[in-house]
Formats: sequence, structure tokens, C-alpha cells
Amino acid sequence: MITFSSYFDTAFLVLFLPVSVAVYMILPRQNLRRVWLLLCSLFFFWCDGKGLLVFILLSTLFMHHGGLWLGKLQNELDAALTDLPKEEKKAVRERFKKRKRLVLAFFIALELGMLAVLKYAGFFVNNLNGLMGLFSSGTRFIVPHFLLPMGISFYTMQAMSYLFDVYRGKLAPDTNIGRLLLYMSFFPNIMEGPICRWSDTAESLWNAERVTYERLTRGAQRILWGMVKKIVIADRLNPFVQNVFGGYDVMEGADLLHFDFTAYPGWVVALAAAAFTLQLYAEFSGTMDFALGLGEIFGVHTPENFQRPFFSLSISEFWKRWHITLGTWFRDYVFYPVSMSAPVKKLTTRARKKLGNRFGPLAGGAVALFAVWIFNGLWHGAGWNYIFFGMYHFTLILLGNIADVVMIRFSEKTGFKRDILPVKLFRIFRTALLVVLGELFFRAPTLRQGFSMCGRIFTQFITNQTVSRAAWGVDWKDAFIVGVTAAIMLVVGLLQEKGKGIRERVSEKPVVLRYLFWYAVVLFLVVFGAYGAGYIPVDPMYAEF
Amino acid sequence: MDELLDLLRELDPEVDFENEEALIDDRILDSLTILALIADIEETFDVTVPAVEIVPANFNSAKAMYEMIERLQEEG
Repeated sequence: MITFSSYFDTAFLVLFLPVSVAVYMILPRQNLRRVWLLLCSLFFFWCDGKGLLVFILLSTLFMHHGGLWLGKLQNELDAALTDLPKEEKKAVRERFKKRKRLVLAFFIALELGMLAVLKYAGFFVNNLNGLMGLFSSGTRFIVPHFLLPMGISFYTMQAMSYLFDVYRGKLAPDTNIGRLLLYMSFFPNIMEGPICRWSDTAESLWNAERVTYERLTRGAQRILWGMVKKIVIADRLNPFVQNVFGGYDVMEGADLLHFDFTAYPGWVVALAAAAFTLQLYAEFSGTMDFALGLGEIFGVHTPENFQRPFFSLSISEFWKRWHITLGTWFRDYVFYPVSMSAPVKKLTTRARKKLGNRFGPLAGGAVALFAVWIFNGLWHGAGWNYIFFGMYHFTLILLGNIADVVMIRFSEKTGFKRDILPVKLFRIFRTALLVVLGELFFRAPTLRQGFSMCGRIFTQFITNQTVSRAAWGVDWKDAFIVGVTAAIMLVVGLLQEKGKGIRERVSEKPVVLRYLFWYAVVLFLVVFGAYGAGYIPVDPMYAEF
Repeated sequence: MDELLDLLRELDPEVDFENEEALIDDRILDSLTILALIADIEETFDVTVPAVEIVPANFNSAKAMYEMIERLQEEG
């Protein structure tokens, strides 16, 4: 049986992808194309986890029933409100609001419950056992290990946003469970997102439009670019990142010796953190290019997940450009509801009276931000390093907001210009450094190792250790190829920042030049891609979250 | 409407709130400013702005905000 470990898997690229697109193109009727997309998606899911398919089916079923129930209550409310005097309307609304809240809470608990049990039960029981050990109790619970269905963290977010939006009256519930299932399981988005919203994506998905020549070529071009990022950068950096973070083995005589990160001087650890950040970006944004390119071929509107995050002037801006769909999800369903809750609102109002308009909102905002970042850390995984990662970014964003207010006042008083190029470049560099430091903790297998690695950077930056070829895992040729490709990525990013992407620019050139250009990209991928002996492709990094 | 424009100008005197139509989309108003603004709106216009109303469509322009306020007042 085939399994697809990523979209860059040979079986996916040479078999699943061409067959799914080709059959879709041949099918004459919209209905057939819809069914085909659904079958492909379910088959893709089935290949990964067989029986785990039941979880996405259950999730869709809950979403379907929850939506219909909420819709029914809304209809009853609308009927009850007609011809009612204004003064009585408020009480009726309140009564229905309570009922709707209960229904929403029930279905959200079902959706979250599956995720919580499958993803967090092990972490929770482990910590519980640790806690009980502190009090020298002999009782220990067995730590459960569940197989995680592919994309559960992504599709659960999609299901919850649908339920929230129906509850809020922003969406009419859908009676067609097939449409919901396709929205939940659409195979290009299932592995690493993006986290779609029903209002953005569902209609275009269900429309199953015919493939046009323009969409096919544009989609293929984007897929190709995603492959360059993933196969040339992320996979090529993999041996080095693995060695520093996970350790490496060397045969000495008949003995197999294992070395960990302490075999490297601090500067190599820092380099590995930077390499991992680049690898993560190349892998995740490359997979997004793949998903969005494939979506484009099928005529599906998929939201962008990245907007050149390394041009950000602050950490706050970084998170508006990195994994955008997760950020907007937390903004809409955690940040604003927490900020608008009565106690937090009261806090904001009080703080504004005491601290003024600029510092005041930070008090309430901080509470909401804390909630966002705890959830964000936990969403990435059941581990203390992820919680630390969340808290790290929470602290940076909060400090950044305070510093921003101080800097604005400083600029007003002294005439210091923050928007000139040298200052901007300094801010971009500083933001990137802070991101890299955070990613070190993110990648470290444990929080303890994260701290040790961080300590090594600051206390043993230069040592007299020599780093062997086996310890590097890569050679200067790899470094050169990655460097050149990263530079190309930078140029492409700069062009996009100017408002016109590379595909648009190339499409305006004469046909011969266009073909030559894309042929060169394919050649570049084939020649410089990291595959074959010595390379193990990096697993989809966000698929496990 | 003038009252609303006064509130907005107090938050950021440099923005042309009368004509700007992409306050959220162009990131002129960030989420913390929105929190301050909502507190002001609730106090001045005696309405409650629920989280569900905080969508770009309601905050992209002063006009859109005013329409939301009128609707919330209407709903009581």
C-alpha cells in the first residue's frame, strides 16, 4: 500500500498528483469533478492512516450537526423577534444566546476533545506522573500513545471556525455534508494547512471549475517554486540541522561513538539555529506554494500563509506575515473574544484612565495576548519547549508594544527618524535574530537542551574544538548551493514586496524567454536538489503539529 | 459621525479618518488600537460591541464604524 510522507514524495509526485489532476481535467461534469476531488482527498487520508479516517469523518459529522442545530436556533430567534416590541427583544435575544452558547460549547468540546485526547493525553499524563513523583506517591498512570490523524490540528481549527461563525450569524449552516467533508479533507491543504475559512474557500472548492490553461501553468509554476525551496534548501540543510540538534554517530575502530551539540563551538550552534530557521521557512512556505499552486489548478481560493516574514520590522509584524492563517484564527477566535470579555474590558478602561491612550490598551491586550500565545505554543505540540516558545513570543510582542510607544514619544521629542533605511535594516536584522533564537527552542528536543544550546552560544561561542566533515553533515558545496538559492529567494521576495511577483514579470516576456526561464528553473531543481545517497528528505515539519 | 471622528483623531491625529477606507486592511489600526477605540465607542454611544462585530468590514472606514454603531443602537 502506498503512503505519502509528504507532497514531495516520489509516489505523490509521479503518481497521485498527475492522476488526480489529469482525471479531474477529463471529467466533463461538475458533479463528477467534485466527487473525484473528494475521493482523492479521502484516499490520500486513507493511505496515511487507514482507520484514522474515522476521526475526520466524526469531526465533519459534529460540524454538520452543530451547524444545523445552531442554525435552527437562529431561525427560531428570528421568528420570535418579528413583531416584538423593542424593549422585549433584548430579553428574547439573551435567552437564545444562552441556548446557542450551550450548543456551541457542546460541539466545540467534541471537536477539541478528539484533538486533546489524541495529541495531549500523553503529555498530560507524563506531567501528572512527574508531579506525583514529587510527592513520592507510588501510583503511576500508563502514558498513552495515540497515532495522530494527518492534519488533525489543521482541520480541527477549520471545523471550529465554521461552528463559531455559524454561532455568530456570519454563516448560514450548510445542509450538505459532502460539501463540509470536502472542505475539511481537501488533500492539498490537509498536511500543513493553510487553515482555511469556510467563507473564503468552501464555495470555490465545491464549484470544481474546469482547469484552464492559464491556471494550470500558473499553478504548476508555483508548485515548481515550492519544490525548489523544499528540495534545494530544506532537504540540503537537513543533515547539518539534524546533527547539531539531534547528535551524530562516528565509527572509531569497532566502536560507534555518539556526539551531541556539546561537540560544537557556540558559533556552530548559532549557525545551526539560523540554518533551522531557514530550513523551516523553506519547507513550510515551499509546501504552502505547493498547496496554493495545486489549489490554483483546481480553481480553489486558498488563503496565503506567508508574506515574506523576514522583511518584518518587529516580532509583532513577523507574526502577521508568518503562518498568517493561524495568526488570524487566534486573533478572531481568541484575542478579540478575550479582549471583549467583561472583566478584560473593565481592565482596559481602567488602565486607559490611569496610563493614557497609548499604554492603557496594553493592559487588556496583554491578557488576551497571553491567552493567544499559550494556545499558540500548545497548538504546535505537547511539550514544554513549545509552551516556552509561545511565552517567548508573548514577552517579545508585549515588550515590543511598550518599546514602540516609547520610541514614538522619543521620535516626537528628538526628531529621530525611524523610517530611514539604516534604521529599518537594523530593525529587520534584530527581528530576524530574535526569531532565530526562538526557533532554537522550538527545534530542540527538550526545553533543557534548548537552554543548554542557548547557553553554549553565549558562553562558549568560540572554543578550540574542530568540527569534522562527519559532524557538519554537509560540505561547502551544499553551503554554496543553499546560499545562492536563499539569495534568489531574497530577490524574489524583494520583487514581491514591490508589488509584482516573479510569475507576473515572466508572463509578460516573449514566449521563448518564458519557456527558457521555466526550463532553467526545472534544470536548477534537478541539478541542485538534494536527493539520492546521503540525503534524507526532511519530513513535513508542520504536519506533526 | 463628528463625535466618532473626534474619537478617532484623538487616537491617531495623523490619519485622514474621513477619507481612509482600508484602516484594517492597510494595518493603519492595529489590534490594540481597536481595543482602545471600542472602549471609546461603547462609552460615547452607549452600545456594547461584541467580539463578533470586530471584522475588517466594520472597521475599515469611519463610515463603516458609524453604520455598525447605528445598527447596534437599533438592536438595543
